[in-house]
Amino acid sequence: MRTLQYIAAVILVTGISSCKKYLDKAPLDSINTANFFKTESDAIAAINGAYQPLQWPKLYNLRIWTSDIWAGNSIVGAGGGTDGIETQDIANFVTSTDNAAALDIWRGPAPGILRCNLVLKNVPAMNINQNLKNRILGEAYFLRSHYYFILVRLFGDVPLITEPQTPEDNLRPSRTPKAQVYDLIIKDLQQAINLLPDRSAYNGADMGRASKGAAMGMLAKVNLTLGKYTETVNLCRQVTGLGYALNTNYSDNFNPATKNSSESIFEVQYFGKTSYSFWSNENQASWVSTFTGPRNADFVAGGYGWDQPTTEFVNQYEANDNRKDKTLLYVGGPSFDNKQYQSSYSVTGYNLRKFLVPKSVSPDYDTNPANWPVLRYSDVLLMEAEASCELNNLSDALVPLNKVRQRAGLPALSGLNQADLRERIRKERRIELAFEGQRWFDLIRYDNGQYAASFLKSIGKTNFAPKHLLLPIPQKEIDTNPNLTQNAGY
Amino acid sequence: MKNKQRIVASMLIAMRFTAIQIVMSIVFAGTLFASEANSQTVLQKSFNITAEHVQLKKLIVAIEQQTKVKFSFSANMINAEKVITYTARNKRIADFLDEVLKPSNIGYQVINDRIILFPLINNPPKESTNKTEEKATSKAERTVSGTVTNEKGEPLPGVTVTEKGYTNTTITDEKGFFSIKVSGRNSILVFSSIGYESTQQPVAMASAVDIVLKATTQSLNDIVVVGYGSQKKKDLTGAVSSVNTNELKSLPVANIGEALQGRSSGVQVVSSGAPGSNVTFRIRGTGTINNSDPLLVIDGVPTDIPLNTLSPDDIASIEILKDASASAIYGSRGANGVVIITTKRGISGKSALEFKMFAGQQKADHLVKMLNASQFASLHNEMMANNGQPQNPAYANPESLGKGTDWLGALFQTAPIQSYSLAYSGGGPKSTYYVSGTMLDQKGIVYNTGYKRYTVQFNSESKVFDWLKFGNNLTLNHDAKYNGNYDIRNTMAALPVQPIYNADGTYSGPVGQASWYGDIINPIGKATVVDNTTNGYNVLGNIYTEITLFKDLKFKSTGGVQAVFWGNRTWSPKYNWQPIPQPNSYLFQQSNKSLTWLWDNYLTYDKYFASRHHLTLLAGSSAQNNRYDYMNGSVQNFASDNTQQLSNGTSQQTISGNASEWALLSFIGRANYTYDNKYLVTATLRRDGSSRFGENHRWGWFPSGSLAWRISEEKFMKPLKWVNDLKVRIGYGITGNQNIGNYSFASVLQTIQYNFNGQTVNAVVPQAIPNPGVRWEEVQQSNIGIDALLLDGRISVTADAYIKNTNNMLVPMSVPISTGYSDIIVPSINAGKVQNKGIELNITTHNTKGSIEWNTSFNISYNSNKVVSLNDSTPLYTGSIGLNQNLSIQKNGLPVNSFYGFVTNGIFQTQKEVGDYAVQVPGSDPFNRTSPGDIRFRDLNNDGKIDDNDRTYIGNPNPRFIFAMNNSFTWKHFDLGIFMQGVEGNAIFNANRIYQEGMAVAQNQTIAVLNRWTGAGSSNTMPRAIFNDPNKNTRVSDRFVEDGSYIKIKNVTIGYTLPKRLIQKVKMQTARIYLSAQNLVTFTKYKGFDPEVPVNGIDLNVYPVTRTLSAGINLIF
Repeated sequence: MRTLQYIAAVILVTGISSCKKYLDKAPLDSINTANFFKTESDAIAAINGAYQPLQWPKLYNLRIWTSDIWAGNSIVGAGGGTDGIETQDIANFVTSTDNAAALDIWRGPAPGILRCNLVLKNVPAMNINQNLKNRILGEAYFLRSHYYFILVRLFGDVPLITEPQTPEDNLRPSRTPKAQVYDLIIKDLQQAINLLPDRSAYNGADMGRASKGAAMGMLAKVNLTLGKYTETVNLCRQVTGLGYALNTNYSDNFNPATKNSSESIFEVQYFGKTSYSFWSNENQASWVSTFTGPRNADFVAGGYGWDQPTTEFVNQYEANDNRKDKTLLYVGGPSFDNKQYQSSYSVTGYNLRKFLVPKSVSPDYDTNPANWPVLRYSDVLLMEAEASCELNNLSDALVPLNKVRQRAGLPALSGLNQADLRERIRKERRIELAFEGQRWFDLIRYDNGQYAASFLKSIGKTNFAPKHLLLPIPQKEIDTNPNLTQNAGY
Repeated sequence: MKNKQRIVASMLIAMRFTAIQIVMSIVFAGTLFASEANSQTVLQKSFNITAEHVQLKKLIVAIEQQTKVKFSFSANMINAEKVITYTARNKRIADFLDEVLKPSNIGYQVINDRIILFPLINNPPKESTNKTEEKATSKAERTVSGTVTNEKGEPLPGVTVTEKGYTNTTITDEKGFFSIKVSGRNSILVFSSIGYESTQQPVAMASAVDIVLKATTQSLNDIVVVGYGSQKKKDLTGAVSSVNTNELKSLPVANIGEALQGRSSGVQVVSSGAPGSNVTFRIRGTGTINNSDPLLVIDGVPTDIPLNTLSPDDIASIEILKDASASAIYGSRGANGVVIITTKRGISGKSALEFKMFAGQQKADHLVKMLNASQFASLHNEMMANNGQPQNPAYANPESLGKGTDWLGALFQTAPIQSYSLAYSGGGPKSTYYVSGTMLDQKGIVYNTGYKRYTVQFNSESKVFDWLKFGNNLTLNHDAKYNGNYDIRNTMAALPVQPIYNADGTYSGPVGQASWYGDIINPIGKATVVDNTTNGYNVLGNIYTEITLFKDLKFKSTGGVQAVFWGNRTWSPKYNWQPIPQPNSYLFQQSNKSLTWLWDNYLTYDKYFASRHHLTLLAGSSAQNNRYDYMNGSVQNFASDNTQQLSNGTSQQTISGNASEWALLSFIGRANYTYDNKYLVTATLRRDGSSRFGENHRWGWFPSGSLAWRISEEKFMKPLKWVNDLKVRIGYGITGNQNIGNYSFASVLQTIQYNFNGQTVNAVVPQAIPNPGVRWEEVQQSNIGIDALLLDGRISVTADAYIKNTNNMLVPMSVPISTGYSDIIVPSINAGKVQNKGIELNITTHNTKGSIEWNTSFNISYNSNKVVSLNDSTPLYTGSIGLNQNLSIQKNGLPVNSFYGFVTNGIFQTQKEVGDYAVQVPGSDPFNRTSPGDIRFRDLNNDGKIDDNDRTYIGNPNPRFIFAMNNSFTWKHFDLGIFMQGVEGNAIFNANRIYQEGMAVAQNQTIAVLNRWTGAGSSNTMPRAIFNDPNKNTRVSDRFVEDGSYIKIKNVTIGYTLPKRLIQKVKMQTARIYLSAQNLVTFTKYKGFDPEVPVNGIDLNVYPVTRTLSAGINLIF
C-alpha cells in the first residue's frame, strides 16, 4: 500500500511544482522581442531585414519589371489566357480594385517600412560603434525613402507611417497627401547622404549596401520626378564625382559574374542558392531569367516566356545599336548558349535576352544569382541630360547623353533643338533602360502624364484614361482600413 | 488548484489504514473448504480404479462412468491437466475428493446429483492467519453454482456473474457453467453479457441456479463510454450516439471513418477518395471558421493520431459525444464534439481465433467527359479567331484529328483492395487478452497511388489482486501512403491532340507556342516517374491501474504515450519533356516526429443508498504534453537513378527543421445522481490550463449540467404497456476549442536571410503583430432530447434539438497592410460568433421477427449555420484558389464558408445589348472588352457598372439535411444489408469548371462547351470561346455553383453464414462469407466527378470517391 502513498506524493509534487512551468512553452524557432537590439550583430541583422522586401516578387523580382508590360514595351506572353492576368489587366487598362499586381505592390514596401522604422526607433539608443550606427541609420533612411518612393509614384497619397506600430496604436490611418510623403522622402534621403559612407568604403560582404552615391542618385530621381531640375543636375554631377563609370559591356550590368560593378549604384542582391522556396517571399534567387526565358524552348532553366517585346518597341532601335542583340532574342540574332531562336517561341516573335542566365550558371529554375539593377550610372547620366535639357542647357545635356550612346556604339548627337533633344533623350532612356522597370515611371512622369496618354494611344492602348496614371488602392486594404479613400475613377 | 491537490492527497493518505484492512480482508478472504455434502448418497458412491500418470480430467471421466455422478468444473479454473497416479479399491467419492482434490487446492460442492469443483484460492498458512476473523468471514460465505443459457438452451460462455453490491465476480466457462462465492444468505447475483439483457437473481437459500438470458432487442443496458468512465445507456442525460459496430463489420473500407458515414444523426462525415487519407467529421455543423474537427479519444487517451492508424477490425465501440453536457468533460477540447473509440478486449472464458479477409475491385464512379481531338481543335480555332489571333495551322482540319488522347482514361484505373486480419482473444477469470495483426493493401484508382497498412493491437487486463487491476492498450502501426504525383485538373486540361508518348517512346510535351499547344506538363509522365510516398510509424499505448480502495471507491491511473513518426519522400528522376524539363534528378526527404505524453489520475465513487439513490462521483487530474520535431532536406543531381539516397546527390543541398511544443493541465470533476431510476442529474466541471494561451488567459472553467426524467418509470405511465421506456433530457454546457496554433500569443522575431555580393547574411524581422490576449474559443450549447422505446422494444426513437453558440471565436485580426505586419500571417483575436441550430432524429425498428428478420435504422439531421458576428464586421474572404481568387466569404448573417461572387444574367446576344447594359469591361479595343457571347452579370447595386461591389452570396456549402437509412434482413443463413446515405441542400463550387469550361486558353474542355455561344440566339448559358477571356466570363459567379445534394446507395452487403452442423466438425464457431458493394449508385445532379467534396464545398482537383465491389470471409474458431 506504499504505492498509494507514492501516488499521492507524486500527484501532490507534480501538481504543485509543475503547475506554473508546465504550461510555459515559448516558441523554439524565433527570437523574443524583449531580448533583441542589444548587440552590433542585432543591429546589423535588423537592417539586413529592411533590405529583404526588395527581393520579393511583390517588388523587384516580378512586379516592378512587369511594369514595362503596362508601359507597352512588351506583352505578358507566358502561357496565354489568364496566365499573368493581373498584369494583362493593367496593360489593357481594365484594372480593377482587386488587381493582384496592385495588391502586391501595395504589400511589398510595407514590411520594409516597418523594419526601417524599427531600426530608426531602436538603434539610436544602442551602445555600439558610432560609424556603424551612422551607417545603419543611413541605410534605414535610404530604404524607407525608397519604399515610399515606389508607393507614392504608383498610388499617390498613401498612409505615412514613421514609427513601428503596436496593437494599441491606431492601425487605420488615412492617406497623407503626396506632397508630405515626398517631404519625408527628401528628408530621409538627405539624412542618408549625410550618414552613409561612400561606396568605396564597402568591401567584401558589405558590397551592395546603400551608399552615399545611391542616396544622391535616388534623390536626383526624386527631384527629377518633382520637376526640380537644378537639384537633379547638381546631384547627378555629385554622383559622377564619386567615381562611377559605365561598364564597357552593357551586358555586365545584368551578369551575375559582374554584380555590383563600377556602373552599379544600387542593386537588389540575389544569391541563387537557397533553402527557401522559390515562390516564397524569402526567395534569395532572381526570378527574371526563369520568367523571361522563352517558353517551351529550354534556353534557360525554367523558361516561362514572360515579357515578350512588341514589334513597335523593337523598331525603336537605331541601326548598329549594340544593345539590341544584348536585349532581345529574335530570329537571325546571335545564338544564346548555343541555341538558335525560333519565332514560334513567342507570340510577338521576340523574347528577352537581357536577363537570361545560361544553365551552366543557373542549373535550375530557382538558382539564378543575378542581381537586379535598381539604379545604375547610365540612368544618372540620362537624368542629368534630361534635367539639363529641361533647363534648356542643351549642350550640357548632350555630354552625358552621348556617353550613353557611345557605349551603345551609336554616333554622338548634336545640333538639336530642345523639343527634339527631349524626344531623343526619352527614346534613349526607353532603349537603355528597357525592361528594367523604369519605363512606366518615366511615362507617368513626363509632362504630368500627358505623354503617357498620347504615347499609349499611339500604340493602340485605347482603353487608357487619366485615372490609370495611378493604380487603385487595393479593395482588400480599404476593407480593412475604411479610413482610406479610393483613387479617382476606380 | 494547489488546494485541490492537497485535498486529493490528504484523502488518499487518510484512506490508507481503512483501505489496508479492506484489501486484506478481500485478499485473504478465508479459504473455503467444501461444505457438508447435501446428498450423502452421491458422496458415498464407490468405485475401483487404477491410474498411472493420467490427467486428472481423464480420471474424473472414469469415475463419472462408474458412478454415474456428474462432475462440473471449468478447465480455466482448475488444473485438470495435472498428471497423477491413483489407485482405488472400493473408494467412496468423498475419499477421492478429500485425498486427491483437496491437496491440489480443489474444493467441491454437491448440487443435486452433481459435484461441482472449484479452486481453493490463496489458501493461507493457518498459523499466520487471524483465526477469528477468518471464521467470521467464512461463516457467512457459501458457494452458488449453475449454468447460464440463452433462450434456445445453448450454453453461454463469458457471462459475467457478480454479487450485487460486492466486488466478487466470476464468468461462465465454455459450457455456461459458473461457481461463485457469495457473502450471505440474501445475496443477489447479477448476470450480464454483451448482447443480452442483464438479469438479477436472488439466491437466498439456493446453492444452484440455472439462468436463461434474453437477447437484448434494445440497448438500454448497453454500456456507453462517456469519457473518464462509462454509463448505462438508460442513465445518459446528454446527447451521446453509440454506433452499432455490428453494421460496420463487412464494409470494404480502409478507414473506420468512412464506415461511420451516416451511422449517427448530427454527424457529417466527408470521405476523401485518396487512399490513406482521413475523413473529416462535422458534429452538429461547422462550429467555427477555424479547426472544426472533433476531439478523438482512443482507449481513453485524447489523441491527434490519424484515425486510419487503427484497423477497423480492432474496434469494439464508437461513441460520439455531441452536446456540451457530454463533451464538457473534455473542457477546452470539447467544443467540436468528441469521437471516442474503444478497441476490442478479450472476454474471460471465451477464447476465440478470428480470421477476416476481403478482397475487391475499386473504380471511379463517374469520369467527367472531355472533348476529343477534333472537337478541341475546332474550339481552339474559334477561340483564337474571336480574339483576332492567328489560328494554329495544325488544327486547320479538325475532323482529321479524330478522337485523340483520352488523358483521364489513362490516369484512372480499376484498382484492387485487400485486407486480412487475424485475432486471438480470451482470458481466464483474472486476465484477458486481445491480440491481432492486420494488413491492408489498397491500390488507388488514380495511377500510382495507394495505401498499405500493417497493425498490431495488443490489449490486456489482469487482476493482480482482487483490489488491483492492471491493463494496457497498445497499437503498433506502420503505413505507407503512395501519394503519387497526379494532377486531376491538369489531366483534364491536357490536349487530346497530344499523344501520351512520342514516337520514340518518351513522354510527349507541348512543343511550340503555348497559346496553340498549351503548357501542361505531361500528367501521365509525371504520375509515372515521380515517386511521392509518406511512411508512418505509429505507437499508441497506455498502461493503467485500477485500485479498489473501498468497495465503492476506485482509483485509476493511466499513463499513455503516443509516438507518431512519419516521413515523406519525393523522388524525381531528371527528364526533358516540354514545357518545363526537370534538369536534375531530385530527392526531397522529410522526417517528422511527434511525441505526446499523458498522465491521468482519477477517483470514482459509486454508491447505492437506500436502494433508490445512486451516486457516482469522479474527480481527477490530467496532464498531457507534446513535442513535435521535423527535419527535411533535399538534394539534386544523382549519378544514378538507382542510388536514391540523400548522400548520393551532388548539388543544391538544402536542409531545414523546426520544433514546437504544447502542454495541457486539467482538473476534472463529475457527479451523476439517480433517484429511483426516474430522475437523473449529471454535472461536470473541468478546469483547463493550456500553454497555447496568453499568460493572463491560461486557465478556463468548463462547466455543464444536465437533467433527465424517465417518465416511463412513473406510476401513471405503467398502464401504457406499449411504452417500454421514455426519457426526456435537457442539458447545457460550455466547452472550448484550443486548436489555435501553439504560439499565437507570442511576440516574436524571425530569423531569415539576405545576401550582399553573393554572401548570405542573417536578417531578423518581425513576423506578425502579436496578440498576447489570445485564448480558447467557447461554445455554449443547449440540448433537449427524448429517448423512447416502444412496442416491446420494437421501435426505439431518439430525438434531439440543440442550439450551439460559438463565442470568442478566433478570427484573423484584420491587420492593415500598411502596418507592415503580415496581413496573411496574422494573430487571431477572440471576436467572432457562430451559431448552429439543429434537430436530429434516430429511429430503429425491428419490423419483422421469425423466419425473416427485418430491422431498419434511420436517421436524419437538420442543421442551420450562420456567422453571427466577426471582428468589426469586416468580411473575411477565404477559399483561395490562386491569384487573388477567393470563392468563399465569412460574413455576418451568412453560413460559414458561403460562396461569394457575381450573379449571371444570361448572355449578351448582340453588341447593342452590351451597350444598353451596365458597363462590364469597357473599351474600344474589340478584342479586349465585353462583346456578344459574353456573360452578363447582374448590376446588383444599380450603379451602372459591374465591379466587386456587385458580388453577393451565391451558395451555402453546408448541407441542410443529412440522412441515412440502413435495412438489414436475415433469412435462414442469409443476411442482407442495404445502406443509403445522403445530404440535401448544400451547394458545391465546381472550380474545375473555371478552367475546363473557360474556353480562354489552350487547355482541353469538358463536353459541356459543345453548347457554347456561336452567334445570336445560340446559347443563353454557355458563353463564347475567346482567348484570354476579356470579359472574365470565368470570374467567381453562380455559373459554377451547383446543387450538391445526393443520395447514395452507400453499401449493399449480402452474406451467408454456414450452418453450425457443418462447421462444428472443424471446431469452428462461425463462418460467414459475403459480397459487399460500397458506393454502389449515386443519385445527384452534380456534374463533377463525385458530390462528396471537402466540407468547404470547393471541388478543385479532388480525388473522387471510389466504388468498391468486394468479397469477404469471416471465420471464428
